Amino acid sequence: MAEVTLSNVRKSYGAVDIIHGVDLGINDGEFVVLVGPSGCGKSTLLRMIAGLETITGGDIRIGGRVVNDLDPKDRDIAMVFQNYALYPHMTVATNMGFSLEHRGGSKSEIAERVKWAADILGLSHLLDRYPRQLSGGQRQRVAMGRAIVRNPQVFLFDEPLSNLDAKLRVVMRGEIKSLHQKLKTTTIYVTHDQVEAMTMADKIVVLNGGRVEQIGAPLDLYDRPANQFVAGFIGSPSMNFLTGTITAGGFAAPGIALPLPALSAELQGRKAVYGIRPEHFALDDNPDHGGVPAEIILVEPMGSETQVTMKLGATQVTGVFRERVALSPGATIRVRPDLANIHLFAADGGQRLN
Amino acid sequence: MKAELSPRMKTALYGLMCVLLIPFVFPTWWMVTSSVKPISDIFAFPPQMIPQHYDWTTYSKVFELQPFVQQYWNSAYIAAVVTVGTMVVSSMAGYAFARIKFPFANTIFMIVLLGLLIPSEVTIVPLFQMFLKAGMVNTHWPLILVPIFGAPSVFATFVMRQFFVTLPTELEEAARVDGLGRFKIFRKIALPLAKPALASVAIFTFLHSWNLFLEPIVFLSSADKFTLPQALTQYTDAYGGPMWNIQLAAATLTALPVLIVFIIAQKQFVEGLAHTGLKG
Repeated sequence: MAEVTLSNVRKSYGAVDIIHGVDLGINDGEFVVLVGPSGCGKSTLLRMIAGLETITGGDIRIGGRVVNDLDPKDRDIAMVFQNYALYPHMTVATNMGFSLEHRGGSKSEIAERVKWAADILGLSHLLDRYPRQLSGGQRQRVAMGRAIVRNPQVFLFDEPLSNLDAKLRVVMRGEIKSLHQKLKTTTIYVTHDQVEAMTMADKIVVLNGGRVEQIGAPLDLYDRPANQFVAGFIGSPSMNFLTGTITAGGFAAPGIALPLPALSAELQGRKAVYGIRPEHFALDDNPDHGGVPAEIILVEPMGSETQVTMKLGATQVTGVFRERVALSPGATIRVRPDLANIHLFAADGGQRLN
Repeated sequence: MKAELSPRMKTALYGLMCVLLIPFVFPTWWMVTSSVKPISDIFAFPPQMIPQHYDWTTYSKVFELQPFVQQYWNSAYIAAVVTVGTMVVSSMAGYAFARIKFPFANTIFMIVLLGLLIPSEVTIVPLFQMFLKAGMVNTHWPLILVPIFGAPSVFATFVMRQFFVTLPTELEEAARVDGLGRFKIFRKIALPLAKPALASVAIFTFLHSWNLFLEPIVFLSSADKFTLPQALTQYTDAYGGPMWNIQLAAATLTALPVLIVFIIAQKQFVEGLAHTGLKG
């Protein structure tokens, strides 16, 4: 186990800058998820930590040691790839013991470590099979087995669940999380799936366009996103945004006036974006409780909750309600925004205002 | 979904295939049957598809008239060395062109490929002079070195490169993380996975070397050094006319290993054709 520190790490391909100076500290034993949309540089950053990509500037330290110019094999890391990258011509046992074999481990030591990893991951009955004889989930487990067998200082996961179906993804998510709890090895995990990020991470790093947008615990990012990008990226269904102006009595959006909590006077008159998560609307027919009218466009019952697409003034938003109420498209209802969970962002730049 | 053919269509299709088979099967049939016919029967009209009289002495005469066992060995060991040599050179060169980034890699690869466009007849005289200076004429060295470093190897390099280009880069990256250097990645990961491509290279190279004719007649002059295709031309009578039945018996014996190799490696041969993008 080790700390990982990135100081002003940059990557350019010719004149094109891909990573614009990332600073990141990862504590010993922490599970950090790098998340962001496609092309944000998260996989590149992971590959730079692994040593599979060179860095253009800055320093990467693993366990206090600068590893900028070290080969992947000398960084004491193990990596799980998106498509597993199992050696097709080797059995599960050989795949798992391959790295130890090349590091001069004795046969008995290799067999012992492979057995240990196979027991943890429930692979003991598959050790003589070839990767082509395994299901997607089993292959994923072998890839993890290959990583843990060496007991490295850091695990790197590059979108390891994206080739699995939705159900298996949930199962494997739990397995990776429990594996981390068991081994407590520092883990850096890349995904574009914010649900994976929220459920697995001790700390999330949100990347966009090669820049860090925000670093924090999952619920901190959910409750207090630093900017409009993070607010929109974290959470599913995503946060609703209404553009308008902060007024003395609330927020004026196109076609509707929305309530706001008390704000400092200097924000009045400022153009802003009003952000509210779908679950922070409440159904409330009483006009005295500060609700606003909403025209229902689409109703999607999910069982545990109902997702409703509706129009607030001229803006289409989504609401999620736990109640099982009979709602029909075209009808108008009253919804009340939860004032404790209103997010205001600057109309220019998207930085948080409240 | 494939549509089932009607019985009539099936019969017509099989009939057509049988007719198309004739130009491919007839020469081999003629060679094998004529090898046991007396000379007078070979050119009899109407032609005898099945021999009326059998003369098995032709096969013993093949070995009496020339050091045929020695020539067989010459062909076999030259083909084996050329095959192994070409596999080594082409797999390494193909891997380098596919996987190692170096300046002008594509340009160099194009220049290498240009070697395929030059007919061997053009280069044979300069090569003869070169090997003459090196004292290698009337030895087997030219027959080994020219294919390993010449056009056949270029073709093999092309086949291997095309295979290695399709190999997932993650496998190599996983190997790098596992602690392997470039050469070990090649030997332990890339090469074992390249078996189908290597098999096709082996088959093509073996056949090319086994059938080589121009180079042996240029570089070899003594009968004990001859290879089989060259030896076949030596079965002539006192007037220089061909001894047809003996020549065809020798040709049958020459074709035998190729036939065996093909039967054993039929699957790889077809896969090999698919790899090269060529059609039979």
